[in-house]
Amino acid sequence: MLDSEIHDLSDDADYAASLQQGSASVMLCNDSTKESSSASELDGAEIVYSKENVAIHPTQFAISGRLKLIKQGSSLFMTWIPYKGHNADTGLSDKDRNLYTIRAVPFTEIRSIRRHTPALGWQYIIVVLSTGLAYPPLYFYSGGVKEFLATIKQHVLLVRSAEDANVFLVNDFQSTLQRTLSSLELPRAVPLARGPSNMSVDESTLNENEERNDSGVNNGSVSVPQFHRRPRHKVHDPARDLSIQVLEKFSLVTKFARETTSQLFRENQTNGFSTNERRTQIQTNLDPPKSSNVAGKISDENSAVPDSLEFDNLSLVWGKPRQPPLDSKEWITFLDSEGRVTDSEAMRKRIFYGGLDHELRNEVWGLLLGYYTYDSTYAEREFLKSVKKSEYENIKNQWQSISPAQAKRFTKFRERKGLIEKDVVRTDRSITFYEGDDNPNVNVLRDILLTYSFYNFDLGYCQGMSDLLSPILFVMDDESEAFWCFVALMERLGPNFNRDQNGMHSQLFALSKLVELLDSPLHNYFKQRDCLNYFFCFRWILIQFKREFEYEKTMLLWEVLWTHYPSEHLHLYVCVAVLKRYRSKIMGEEMDFDSLLKFINELSGHIDLDATLRDAEALSICAGEEGAARIPPGTPPSLPVDEGSFYIQQDDEVL
Amino acid sequence: MPSRRRTLLKVIILGDSGVGKTSLMNQYVNKKFSNQYKATIGADFLTKEVQFEDRLFTLQIWDTAGQERFQSLGVAFYRGADCCVLVYDVNSVKSFDNLNNWREEFLIQANPSDPENFPFVVIGNKIDIDGGNSRVVSEKKARAWCAAKGNIPYFETSAKEGINVEEAFQTIAKDALKSGEEEELYLPDTIDVGNSSQPRSTGCEC
Ligand SMILES: Nc1nc2c(ncn2[C@@H]2O[C@H](COP(=O)(O)OP(=O)(O)O)[C@@H](O)[C@H]2O)c(=O)[nH]1
Ligand SMILES: [Mg+2]
Repeated sequence: MLDSEIHDLSDDADYAASLQQGSASVMLCNDSTKESSSASELDGAEIVYSKENVAIHPTQFAISGRLKLIKQGSSLFMTWIPYKGHNADTGLSDKDRNLYTIRAVPFTEIRSIRRHTPALGWQYIIVVLSTGLAYPPLYFYSGGVKEFLATIKQHVLLVRSAEDANVFLVNDFQSTLQRTLSSLELPRAVPLARGPSNMSVDESTLNENEERNDSGVNNGSVSVPQFHRRPRHKVHDPARDLSIQVLEKFSLVTKFARETTSQLFRENQTNGFSTNERRTQIQTNLDPPKSSNVAGKISDENSAVPDSLEFDNLSLVWGKPRQPPLDSKEWITFLDSEGRVTDSEAMRKRIFYGGLDHELRNEVWGLLLGYYTYDSTYAEREFLKSVKKSEYENIKNQWQSISPAQAKRFTKFRERKGLIEKDVVRTDRSITFYEGDDNPNVNVLRDILLTYSFYNFDLGYCQGMSDLLSPILFVMDDESEAFWCFVALMERLGPNFNRDQNGMHSQLFALSKLVELLDSPLHNYFKQRDCLNYFFCFRWILIQFKREFEYEKTMLLWEVLWTHYPSEHLHLYVCVAVLKRYRSKIMGEEMDFDSLLKFINELSGHIDLDATLRDAEALSICAGEEGAARIPPGTPPSLPVDEGSFYIQQDDEVL
Repeated sequence: MPSRRRTLLKVIILGDSGVGKTSLMNQYVNKKFSNQYKATIGADFLTKEVQFEDRLFTLQIWDTAGQERFQSLGVAFYRGADCCVLVYDVNSVKSFDNLNNWREEFLIQANPSDPENFPFVVIGNKIDIDGGNSRVVSEKKARAWCAAKGNIPYFETSAKEGINVEEAFQTIAKDALKSGEEEELYLPDTIDVGNSSQPRSTGCEC
């Protein structure tokens, strides 16, 4: 199950991109003769395999190159050198190309090769190093995966994995036990991942991570000497699909930890360890078997003396690099000639990874929010727009026709209006669009909110709604359109504002369950400090991080969340990602509830959105179905399970 | 006789949305007024060092969202409070009428050990508006209510003009300190052992 999701995550984007870019790369293959010195650094080497048109897809653009197997003495090396000169149109610099080049990696440093043979598109392989890092998938545009594997088999020991027929283990004379343990060690290898696309990540973090990996390989509780005798490969390759590897390993570990630990004991009676030693080691690493978070488990044991840096290194998980925003040129490729979205899944995925150019938001937000359906045409949308405009005017008219005399006898109306008026004048007034005295947009904000409170009289107006409406009005720049998009958003988030706060409580509850799953030391810490109510995340959730990022970033985050890809509840994983990012600080400074709340409030403006989204994506994939199972049905933005019971009227407040 | 003295005093500000809670807090702590404060979502607090008779205290002032819908959060935020400030807008009858609800809600959720004597302070804010011409709650009426509720100290302020804000918070801090000290009487002496070495503790043993 997990496997297929991972496959989906890693491969579809590659595949889609390759469809766009592939033919160009293939056409350019003639130039490849210019590049011929790849093996020059290996004296007396014999090229035993050479394949043209093997490409990687590190961004939406492909980079084509030549894959070689080189034999020198008894050692086998693999190289992949991108072609020079004809990637210019992809905007890739020489520096980038250097980063991706695979320079003579010896097979002693390769753990496994995974073969992917999609029904549509090109075959590709993922080469996983013994460090746990992986190279980007190598696409064989001209075929030849089988031949590649067959050649390797002639020179080094290559066996098919028992667990997965598409995985080929290199030099697999190690025991299954050791493989398990080496996979356990993977999370620490993660922070090594870097590359052009990782540059948005705080440099100091990266350096820190690197240093620690250079010096602190044996720091954790995983201490199997046999494993470390392999040289640590200092990877300068960006290892784009690292996250996928990590995720695969996470699932592997979970599986092993849960189901096969005991079996491993039985199968490996004869290898180097005594049974007792082995048991100790396994227990050190796998207990308690309930948790699937390896990183968490490892640091669990250190929690008495939290080594914060170690924590972070162990627990960071990277999702895929973010992409540039979708622009109008690319946007029309998602539409048919009449304006229908042909593949909404691909479209949502693209928006998930890059967001939207600002000019596009006006057109796309209505679709993302479900106000317009994906299969509507331009004409149908125009028509709906006009119908909805008069519908809006009708509802608006309901309160506009209340005369001052009538209002005097209509306390609830006056109070509701007063509340809204107090809030719109303190909503985003520093944004040019709402700036200054007597700004008409502030009045539009008020009118929409008041109209909404008549559209959904039971829910009425609640603080926070003005924050949610503000960017929508800014983007739609049309009163009626903004109203209906807001209505669509409130379909998802309305329960956040329920009188009984059930929407908020179910989300905070789900958040605590996810942290328990994905970061048990942090969970235990919160438990100890009586912080499990997660009220310190209240503002994040109530208004979708609106107060945590600058305006532009908020809009980006929202459209990403609204894609409901890869999880409907990605916002909860965003919470986990931020908490995880600061866990060493939280635990190191022994924050109590008060200081935690203060700390979180003051994070506003300091959260790195791209990095957080990458973490959140990876975490949501890691958590997989187990994560989904921890989110109660009907938790916003999921639609309520029982439609009828939502806006329960209570006597205490009818504002 | 060593006795643990608390140095953190926790104050909660309650009142209807828009009466000026956030503005009062900022005027007191930062001596600033801005009409661009955003509506408070969830809760936040500011701290200010205050001095009484050579002793330094940290006043921790909690500002919460005013809408009743968010009251269920109170359980987490109100606990351990040493004083509760009830704020209304002198230009809004409703905000005054609601003081009673806020008071009762607080007592339920904070569950102080001695609710009868728990210190409240009432503030009527925004006296600057229209030079007082749009005011709808008279000082007399407000003082009468305060007297009926156990002689709650009463202040009229303008967070905007900085009128009477300092004075109000002086009383708030004093009352918080008193209530904090009274609470200490319930603490058995044995609890103090070992605490005297804490840097922030200013016990009288020194
Ligand atoms: N004229 C005047 N306006 C005030 C005063 N205090 C607050 N305000 C305004 O009242 C509105 C609500 O204030 P705020 O402090 O956010 O209220 P809160 O919801 O109780 O925190 C804002 O527009 C403030 O600028 C005051 O003393 N005088
Ligand atoms: Mg406020």
